[in-house]
Amino acid sequence: MKSKIEKVLEEASVNTFEDTCFMYQVPELNDVQKNLTLEAAAEVKYRGDYTGSLLIETRGGLFSAIAANILSIDSPSCLQKKDALGEVANIICGNVVTSLGRSKQGYKIESPRSLKKDELLKEKRQGKPLAEITMNFNEGRADIKFFVDGGFFAKEKKG
Amino acid sequence: MALNILVVDDSSVMRTIIIKTLKLTDLPLGDIWEAENGEKGLRLLQEKWIDLALIDIHMPVMDGEEMIRHVRENDQYENLPVIVVSSESDPSKIEMVHKQGATFIHKPFKPETLKEVIIAITGVSNEVKD
Repeated sequence: MKSKIEKVLEEASVNTFEDTCFMYQVPELNDVQKNLTLEAAAEVKYRGDYTGSLLIETRGGLFSAIAANILSIDSPSCLQKKDALGEVANIICGNVVTSLGRSKQGYKIESPRSLKKDELLKEKRQGKPLAEITMNFNEGRADIKFFVDGGFFAKEKKG
Repeated sequence: MALNILVVDDSSVMRTIIIKTLKLTDLPLGDIWEAENGEKGLRLLQEKWIDLALIDIHMPVMDGEEMIRHVRENDQYENLPVIVVSSESDPSKIEMVHKQGATFIHKPFKPETLKEVIIAITGVSNEVKD
């Protein structure tokens, strides 16, 4: 059964891709989509009662398709692609942090940044995300992961 | 009446998204002006005839809160309809936006949502363009 945060992450991600990128999911993972190689990633960090990050990885041409759809251009520049992916990550993160519970001081969401491959490998050592979702599109695939530093449930138990 | 609109956001991608969504509302649009921070937004307000401003909260140089404060203090455009478009989740920030007489729209948003808000705060009718 999906946790509340997983549901929020899914809803925020679907709405963001539909309303912001004008992109709609295709229902099933085919073999090609499963084996797509990583092309880009962006991370947004947040701070409040909890700290952590949201990571979005794209595969199979989605990196370019997001910017092309948003900007209505055929060949977006590398900077435009990075900005577009960062904006998507920023919007999703802004929606998901509210599900962590009301923070007295609110949550500060930092500017998105692109990640290099070595940083992604480091990210993989950070541990398990609190919630994650895979979205499949005709243009490729997005894997979106939401992390809470130190673990959400551990902190909840401490109270 | 066609609305002249000012879009203030430090992200050029986000400005493009907002303008694209504005066009999807099918409302009568006039000139659309863009600024990357509150300071540049205020300058455009002094130079151009603007009927509505869509403003982000978090921006360098001058943020959205400060820009709206300047707008409300200026006799020339103190009653300007303002929509704050943000992924902000802090309830106190959102409350501050309302206190400043602006309407808050959370990202992501649909053209229908934007259209409803614009009609409500500007009184523009969904008449045929031109």
